Amino acid sequence: MSEKLKTKTFVFFLIAPAFLVLIGVVIYPFIFNIIISLSNMSLSHIKDWHFVGLRQYVKVFTEESKPSFYDVFLKTIIWTVVNLFFHVVIGVFLALLLNQKEIRGKAIFRTILVLPWAVPQLIVALTWRGMFNYEYGSINLMLTQWFGLPAVQWLKSPVETFIAVIITNVWLGFPFMMIIALGALQSIPHELYEAADMDGASWFHKLKNITIPLIRPVMVPAITLGTIWTFNNLNIVWLVSNAGEPSDQTHLLVSFVYKAAFNFYRYGYGAALSMVIFFILLAFSLTFMRRTKATEAAY
Amino acid sequence: MKPITRRFGSINRSTFHIFLFSFVIAGAVFCGLSGCSPKTTEKIRITIWHQDRIDIRVVLEAQIKKFMALHPEVQVEQLFKETESLRSGFIIAAIAGQGPELVYGPADQVGPFQVMDIILPLDSLFDKSYLDQFDPKGLTYYKGHLYQIADKLGNHLTLVYNKKLVPKPPTTEKELIDIGKSLTRDLDGDGKPDMYGLAWNYTEPFFFIPFMTGFGGWIMDDNGNPTLNNRGTIDGLKFIKDLRDKYKIIPNESDYEIADILFKDGKVGMIINGDWSWSGYEKAGIDFGVAPLPKITTTGLWCGTMVSPKGFSINANVSEEKKKWSIELIKFLTSDENELEAARILHTMPTKKSVLASDFVMKNDIMRNSQIAIEHGRPMPVVPELRAIWDAMRPSYQAVLGGYKPAEQAAADMQNDALRKIREMNE
Amino acid sequence: MNAKSKKYFRIVITYLVLVLFCLIALYPVSQILTVSLRPADRLMSTSLEIIPKDASLRNYKALFTERPFGLWLANSTFVALVVTFTGVALASTAGYAFSRFNFIGKKIGLLSLLVTQMFPATMLLLPMYIMLVKLHLINSYLGIMIMYSATALPFCVWQMKGYYDTIPTSLEEAGRIDGCNRFQTFYQIILPLASPALVITALFSFMSAWTEYIVAAQILQDTQMWTLPLGLKSFESNMGSEWGLYGAASMIVTIPVVVLFLSLSKWLVSGLTLGSVKG
Repeated sequence: MSEKLKTKTFVFFLIAPAFLVLIGVVIYPFIFNIIISLSNMSLSHIKDWHFVGLRQYVKVFTEESKPSFYDVFLKTIIWTVVNLFFHVVIGVFLALLLNQKEIRGKAIFRTILVLPWAVPQLIVALTWRGMFNYEYGSINLMLTQWFGLPAVQWLKSPVETFIAVIITNVWLGFPFMMIIALGALQSIPHELYEAADMDGASWFHKLKNITIPLIRPVMVPAITLGTIWTFNNLNIVWLVSNAGEPSDQTHLLVSFVYKAAFNFYRYGYGAALSMVIFFILLAFSLTFMRRTKATEAAY
Repeated sequence: MKPITRRFGSINRSTFHIFLFSFVIAGAVFCGLSGCSPKTTEKIRITIWHQDRIDIRVVLEAQIKKFMALHPEVQVEQLFKETESLRSGFIIAAIAGQGPELVYGPADQVGPFQVMDIILPLDSLFDKSYLDQFDPKGLTYYKGHLYQIADKLGNHLTLVYNKKLVPKPPTTEKELIDIGKSLTRDLDGDGKPDMYGLAWNYTEPFFFIPFMTGFGGWIMDDNGNPTLNNRGTIDGLKFIKDLRDKYKIIPNESDYEIADILFKDGKVGMIINGDWSWSGYEKAGIDFGVAPLPKITTTGLWCGTMVSPKGFSINANVSEEKKKWSIELIKFLTSDENELEAARILHTMPTKKSVLASDFVMKNDIMRNSQIAIEHGRPMPVVPELRAIWDAMRPSYQAVLGGYKPAEQAAADMQNDALRKIREMNE
Repeated sequence: MNAKSKKYFRIVITYLVLVLFCLIALYPVSQILTVSLRPADRLMSTSLEIIPKDASLRNYKALFTERPFGLWLANSTFVALVVTFTGVALASTAGYAFSRFNFIGKKIGLLSLLVTQMFPATMLLLPMYIMLVKLHLINSYLGIMIMYSATALPFCVWQMKGYYDTIPTSLEEAGRIDGCNRFQTFYQIILPLASPALVITALFSFMSAWTEYIVAAQILQDTQMWTLPLGLKSFESNMGSEWGLYGAASMIVTIPVVVLFLSLSKWLVSGLTLGSVKG
């Protein structure tokens, strides 16, 4: 066989298995969802649904609801950005700390710091909810007893509840970014740092010019996917706020979909909303990846 | 070996081996599993899906074993699913033509299941003489047909009190407030109460309903239209707010878990909770009593909780043969003997008239009070619109408690929201 | 400050910060431990103690004697290990292809991997169920293993690709010159260098299978086949969950993950850096 054909065959065998699985498992539900989103499938039309064109999409954007689609959308964006920011900053920060050669007991530190990711989410989320209780929760107890600050009504008003949910999710998410960053840091040759030291570079300079560019190829997929997952993270918001309390204000777009589809059986509407979420995320990913040139190599 | 590869020595070798191993294992397992399927027996399999807590599961398992001993050609299995998963899981499975033969749960699941045409009407499958043995509350009719036969009646709220702190339970709301005030104490002088008179999951609409009825309201009329904007709602909301802010006998924030542990820790005298919780209090060693919720003196009405039967529905996809056995199984599990056994162990209220008249139900303290609470209560509607009503009530209700909406406004908003959500649901 | 005391300062601050974060990481987890030791299913308590006065190991014992926790553990371990091996095998190869070769559909391929993650999972349940029914994969491990691999792969492939991207192609060229063929350069030279990414892939695949509930709940109908998340869910009720058992189970469920992490983490920071390439 010619060299080129050999290469192509090799490539094909590398990728084929993964893609076969993905196509089967994802494409079919995807198409199904598109079809449903163009239909009126709901409680009264569960078996005899028919196409209604873009009516569900119109409803998504114009339906009057408290909170409105735009409120929830904005909230979801804030949620995603704030979470990712802290996840990455804390994760990279801790990874850098742990990467220093003079530190002992690294294995222990790493293991303890990975616990938030390792523990089952349901009970941990409910534990955090308990910690935010006004009268009996640990957080207020610590605030009042150790810092002399007034207790916060964490779960009573929309803003505080939102902050509480964010705090919980940041706690849950930083280990993941930390592990990725730790892995990424390994790919940076020591010589680069040594050379920079000889040139008298400050730590900031080293961070900006060596570390960050070189961990980028590994961090970018994690950040992109992290953004997508956080955007669509139903569990934490649902559990800590007890399904949207207070007054249905603590919602993300995904929990909206969940409510519509599973609580009200509005499958057509839910499918349309899912498609909208999908397009939002697609637009984001395309822009983000173009700017970071993530589909190319680093060297 | 070549110069470059030599540098990587042993690590590279073991990585290669792990790698090859992974591929082989994955391939082998996949191949092996594609031929693998659960063991099929020649027995007829009947599956029950339910959302029962563990005590009930244990009793059910024992009764199922008895049934299988009587009918060796049948294999009965029970599968627990959490309430929401049960509902959505059954819907998904049934629409795809699958699902369990029997689905067991509270009556409100009947509405959506019937509309989606995934459960069978039962009136033609059981004869009248059999059905007449049941208290009417145990048979759930919807749109003119019978869809669920219950073996337990309940899901109702009662006033549970700690006998050590509350020797005699209150019968009116005035007594409730008085007892509450005497119990709410600041024991360690830090300005915050360490004990409360009453705690319960008061932010959840279901737990608010008794006060709505006590003050004269109800959530819907006979045709399923919401009637939330009424005096009962408004006065009920104000009453609860007063309990917290004026009389200060309930904690500032109290969801289900908090109220539960406060009661278990002995830090609260009374809790409003349902029959599912009693065994937990028993396990925690609390000497507790059960009483019906109090009467509201200003209206003369008893606070009435929602009562719901929990029973069996048959999957519309069931085959003729399995249908026969499903019917047999339902008859067996609702037999007088089995209902009485369940009542004794679990303190659940039976549905057969003869069992309701038995000594145990009439004379046992907890059962007697439970029965009174049920009598004061009203059946939970089974229409699918109920969901919309809960959802409409919740935000406004919580806004009142949060202090940023007056009760009158809330009642009006609840009504409008409910109407809107019902409209959206039925489009 | 001279260089030595600067260094000292840096080290001390590092330890302080690390310890602080460890405490933050540990505290909620310790609450779960408390729940597991506390009798009578109390999720919270009015006291702040970590080991309650009436602590008992009853819940841990009950997990194995009163519930088939051991069975759930075995099932989950089996499923998770297979998914891990599959994930590592498939992602390391696919990622390599995406990193080293340019071919038609490369960009689309990469993007489509991401696309698979963008859908809220709740909407995928109904079509997935229907498809699995048609393929007779309901109530089989093959069914959930396929689903789990599909959910874990996109991230893993991207991750591997990103990591391969940081390895200079000059290494493969050197390998070819030395006489290795393509596959040999891949698994003897490149793969070991990518061990941190392999670790991440393994961990991630394992976690996806170990903790997943929604898909398993829909597919596994036989209680004998239950995985841990389904088992844990059975302790939960809308009102009146068995928190003691749930807490104990949660603690035990965390242990294999931690063990896996510990054993793999030496390869995460292998130090197999590119010191082999000069200039």
